[in-house]
This record gives sequence, C-alpha cells and structure tokens, in this order.
Amino acid sequence: MNSTNRAANRLFILVIGLTLLVVGAGAAATVLVPVVRDGWSDATGPVTHQVSTWLQQTALGDTGVSWIMPAVLVLLVIAVIVLVVFIARQGRGHTSVALTEPTSEHGTTVVEAAVAEHALEEAISARPEFVASHVSTYRVRRTPVLKISVTCRRGVSPRDAARIVEDAVRALDELLGRPLPALVQISGGFRSRVTATTRLQ
Amino acid sequence: MTTTLTSLDTAQDARPDSASNGSGTPVPASFTRLYRRIARRETHSPRSLLAIVLAVIVIVALAWVGTEIVIALLGAPALLVAPADMFAGTLGLVDAPVAIVATAGILVAVIGLVLVIAAVSPGRRARHLLSAERTAIVVDNEVIASALARHASLAGNVDPDNASVSVSHRHAVVHLTPTSGIPVDRAVVTEAVTRQLDSYGLRPPVSARIQIAENGRIGA
Repeated sequence: MNSTNRAANRLFILVIGLTLLVVGAGAAATVLVPVVRDGWSDATGPVTHQVSTWLQQTALGDTGVSWIMPAVLVLLVIAVIVLVVFIARQGRGHTSVALTEPTSEHGTTVVEAAVAEHALEEAISARPEFVASHVSTYRVRRTPVLKISVTCRRGVSPRDAARIVEDAVRALDELLGRPLPALVQISGGFRSRVTATTRLQ
Repeated sequence: MTTTLTSLDTAQDARPDSASNGSGTPVPASFTRLYRRIARRETHSPRSLLAIVLAVIVIVALAWVGTEIVIALLGAPALLVAPADMFAGTLGLVDAPVAIVATAGILVAVIGLVLVIAAVSPGRRARHLLSAERTAIVVDNEVIASALARHASLAGNVDPDNASVSVSHRHAVVHLTPTSGIPVDRAVVTEAVTRQLDSYGLRPPVSARIQIAENGRIGA
C-alpha cells in the first residue's frame, strides 16, 4: 500500500550482494589459486608506484596534499546523503484526504480521510468476530485508497470477515455518494491465538 | 474531474451487474487495475527491512572511511587504520595468512550470494487473495488455517484442540487426532473442508489434504 520503491530496494540489495560476492570470491581466489596469486604479487609493485605518482601529480596548490583524498571525501558524503534519503523514502504514502471534488465554480469540496476511517471503525470495531481493527488511507497512483486491517478471533471464517467489512464499505459508499477503493487485510496474529474460539453459528 | 466522473458513471451504466448482489454502489472498472497492483504489493515482501539494514551498514562503513581520511589529512593518528595502510593492506593480501583470508573471502561471498537471492526471489508473504466484489481482500494463511480447523473439528466430531491445520501457498494439510473410540469420517471432513475452501475463492487456489491419526487420544 505504501509508496516504497520496491524496485530500488531490490536493486540496492542486488548491487551490495554482487559486490560482496565479487570481493569475497576475489579475495579467496587470490590466496587459493596459484595463477591469480602470482598475478596479484606481480601487480603490487606497479600499482603502488602508479598510485603514488598520481598522488604527487595532483598536489593541491603548494600544500603538498593531493586533492584526490578530499575528492573521495566529497563522494563519500554524497553517497551517505543518497543512502539517508533512500532510507527516509521507505514506507511513505499516507494521506489525510479521501475525496477532492470541484463541486461548484466557486469552491472545492474536500472530504477528510478521517471521516471514512472513523465511520468504518465505528461499524467494524463492535463486531465480536474481530479482536482489533484499524483503518488508514494511502495514496496509490494518486488515488486515495482505504486500508482496513482487521484481526480475527480464532476460528472466524475469512468469508464471514470479508462480508462484514464489505457491508461496512458499501454503507460508506452510500454515505459518501461514491465508492472509494479499499483494501481489506484479514490477519490472525498473537492476539487471536490467545483469545477463546468464537461461539458463532 | 467532471469528465472522469462522467466516464465513471457510463462505466457503471454499461456494467449494471458488476455488483451482482445488487446492494450498494457497483465498483467502477477503474478500480480493477488499482486492485491488481495493491494485491500484488500486499502478497509480496517489499524487502524494506533488508534494504534499510544494508543501507545503515554501508552508511556506517562510509562514515568511518571518511573520518579516517579527514584524520589523515589533518595528520593526526588514525582511529583504526590510516587510508595509506588500507591501500597497502589490500595489495599485501597475498602475504596474509591463507586460511584467514580464504575463510573470510568465502564467508563474504556466501553473504553476497544470499543477498543476490533475496534481491531476485519473489519473496511471497504467507497470504492469499480472497475473491470479492467491492474491495481487494488479502487473508493471512493463519486465518484460513484457523477457520479450517474449526470446521474440520466440527465435521469430524473431535475437540478443536485436536485439529491442526497448516496452510501453504497451494496446500492445506488438515491433521485430526480422533477421540479414542469415536471414529472420524474422512469423507465428511473432506467435504466440509473443501466446501469452506471453495467458498473463500482463494487465489492461488488451495487444495485440502486430510490426515487422520492412527491412534486416538483418550479423554479428548
């Protein structure tokens, strides 16, 4: 329901995984495979020489310090900022507006999501089939969508739970005059396991 | 906005039977695509936790390297390893003890492989879609199992505590332990459980398998 960029999550995990795979396998191969080991030993001298040449050539003014290190530092800071933004972007997408409609030429009617949420919770929470219920509103593809999560008591048929919630949603449709898209999430969880079986039917 | 509303109304007029039980407003056709996306997202893991944990670890590592660079530029002694030593250490990999480097390398490679698998596998959650007219409904497998256990124990005339059900992606395994001396009619239980599953209209469909214990339990 939330606007988490799942492709980005998977891409990030894939990149880190591939990096670790290559680095780990490379390190193991370097010490275990004789050919790679010899190649690595031969390359050590030239690479050290090359890098120290670079560091000397890129001196920053007359301080004697190379600008490569500060440049690396800037790249690190940028990477950290990008990662922080990446973390902060997770799990967003709540909205507080259920309906926006230009009802006349002079104004717009806005129905707060709280109206729908309270109406549904009022209708559902008193039912003995449910231990707990929660209604929230998310924006999915720029459309407000209601999310109704209910926790069933032990042994309650999901069909019955679905019917109760759907009836409440239909009543809300009547109230608002137009249907809102809705997701119903029927879950069990710890609280339903410790409560007694319902004596229904 | 007005145009979309009009099109919504015509869509409703064109499909007057979209809410077959006739109560309440019919569902606009525009919801279907939305519901498909929501259903897909609700039955698969977003991999958020793993991504956040990895991102935090990478941030800490980068911050440490950055700090070492600043300290080295200031000419102060390093916190753990100076950048120059990091570079020299990487190049001098072959001179390090073989066993340690090989073990660490293989360990890191295995972690990398696990991450790659996590990134490309579907990551299904233990949930099913329930057929519905007005809303999109996802049900935890746990709830399905709990309801099946109640119906199976009623049909088989055993105590609810002696019925255990496990629901996986495509199968529901009902395990009943009969009360000693009272046989359980497998056909009746199968029929009751199958009828329940059919009434849920789960996606993907779940087929039931009934197991009845050989030995009954006394006093249950």
